[in-house]
Amino acid sequence: MRIQQSSSLLPAVQRGHLVKITVDGRIVEAYEGETIAAAMLAAGIYVFRRSRKHNEPRSMSCGMGSCMECLVTVNGKDSLRACTTLVIDGMLIETCKEVKHE
Amino acid sequence: MSETYELAVIGAGPAGLEAALVASQAGVKTVVIDCYPQSGGQYFKAMPSGFSVSERNSAEAEGDALAKRLEETSVTRFWDTLVWGVFNDEEKDEGWLLALNGAEAPKEIRARTLILANGAYETPVAFPGWTLPGVISCGATLILVKTQRVAPGKRAIVTGTGPLLFSAAAHLIAAGVEVVAVCENTRLFPKGIMYIPTMLGQWGRLVEGIKYLSTMIKGKTPYKTGWSVIEAQGKEHVEGAIIAKLDNNGVPIPGTEKTVLVDTVVCSFGLTPNTDMARMIGCKLEYKAKKGGWIPVRDETLQTSLDGVYVAGDCGGISGAENSRLEGQIAGTAVSNKTGHMSSQKAEEIYNSLKSPLSQQRRFGRLLGDLFTTKPGLSSLSRDDTIICRCEEITKKEILAAIDAGCESVVWVKRQTRSGMGMCQGRSCHRQVAHLVAQRTGQKLDTLLPDTQRPPERPISLEVLVEVDE
Repeated sequence: MRIQQSSSLLPAVQRGHLVKITVDGRIVEAYEGETIAAAMLAAGIYVFRRSRKHNEPRSMSCGMGSCMECLVTVNGKDSLRACTTLVIDGMLIETCKEVKHE
Repeated sequence: MSETYELAVIGAGPAGLEAALVASQAGVKTVVIDCYPQSGGQYFKAMPSGFSVSERNSAEAEGDALAKRLEETSVTRFWDTLVWGVFNDEEKDEGWLLALNGAEAPKEIRARTLILANGAYETPVAFPGWTLPGVISCGATLILVKTQRVAPGKRAIVTGTGPLLFSAAAHLIAAGVEVVAVCENTRLFPKGIMYIPTMLGQWGRLVEGIKYLSTMIKGKTPYKTGWSVIEAQGKEHVEGAIIAKLDNNGVPIPGTEKTVLVDTVVCSFGLTPNTDMARMIGCKLEYKAKKGGWIPVRDETLQTSLDGVYVAGDCGGISGAENSRLEGQIAGTAVSNKTGHMSSQKAEEIYNSLKSPLSQQRRFGRLLGDLFTTKPGLSSLSRDDTIICRCEEITKKEILAAIDAGCESVVWVKRQTRSGMGMCQGRSCHRQVAHLVAQRTGQKLDTLLPDTQRPPERPISLEVLVEVDE
């Protein structure tokens, strides 16, 4: 969920331009400057990929590009980090793609 | 022919920015490279481009000012650029070869000296359920809430150790998330009393801390010292967590368990210096638990065991952002002197002027190390079937079996089990494997070596390599 309230810890913010991305066929609104991870979590999409061996759900964990848990497919390109890749209008995102291949 | 610089600074956080500023002022031909789209690192995290914010707090304003000062220099800057490899052809005297991957950056550059300012990442600690969506680090929480302005869930529990827990909890509350408790693993009293004088020298931090504390008090959030989340539960996402009291070694005390209903578990078990690049090029390391684990051996000018390679900031040992800034200045000065742009006398003057603030910041670093070092018992949170290597899905049981079969080092466990061979290249597991090896074989951690690090520093697509060879 996007945070609407502001306070001294979270001063009021003006988000970037509204854009639209597609996640697994669903159109999701996002704002320029947001990471794919933030846009997906804001839309209530929590499972980013599934583990290869046990098919377990995985999501953003470290948030800074270190742990590689948030890998998604972007415009057909596999294994991009959702936490460090910024949204662009019209982006096509697929989750859990690796497992769907098998 | 690739461009040659006198200095390449890798990482544009507090240490890297200061280092580049000092060196460029002295006239050193400098390049700074950072993998993020904006400078600042994790501490001076900039707001996303396209976002505008009504006010910045004092630390953020300082970060913005530093970044602006750098923009006014002639320093070459490559943001959103990964240094995926650093190579040295000893037969040719051409300096270090840096292989880059970034839209705006050339494929390779050369540099006579290096300042590594790679920062740190949160120390991963495995517990049952730690791979579930909804279990996130304090750092991830702060990025999400502060800069992206997205709440990770509706009801959270914060667990682990260190001042980041406060910050994460306060920001979650400010974001409207219900924080049911903060479980600080360490018992802060009475030991913490010893450190009150050190804290009094840290006004900025105290003021920030009081802000967090008052937010927690207003939010009526219990602060439980000597407690930890010991399990996250749920199928596709966190649905609840089990907390328990810990003994003095950090081992959960049976019978103290309680279940809490949450959709988010925020954890931070201290920071680990990011030594990936230092290891890749062969800097000698030492193990210092209170500095966050393995760190490069450095002399007073922050030069490593390799001539002309310096390490500044938290990747040289966890001591906080202010210490990182001072270390950046020291390393920048040392390089200016080494490359002939600054006299030794002038360099000495600068070192001397930094001595007193540095010792104050290092005292603060020691406080962090003494109070908040993760207890050995925390590796007992994982059960036999708990995954330690998240990427390759290797359980504790498999790692212990490999150790019992004679794999008595991190590298041998990796060869036997594939633990550390996945996409994260061991960042999530190699330290935990080292702890298991030490515990199981009775070896001391400081006699064990970390995992070997090879290029690429982060996964890159094969196209990048093909282009280099052309």
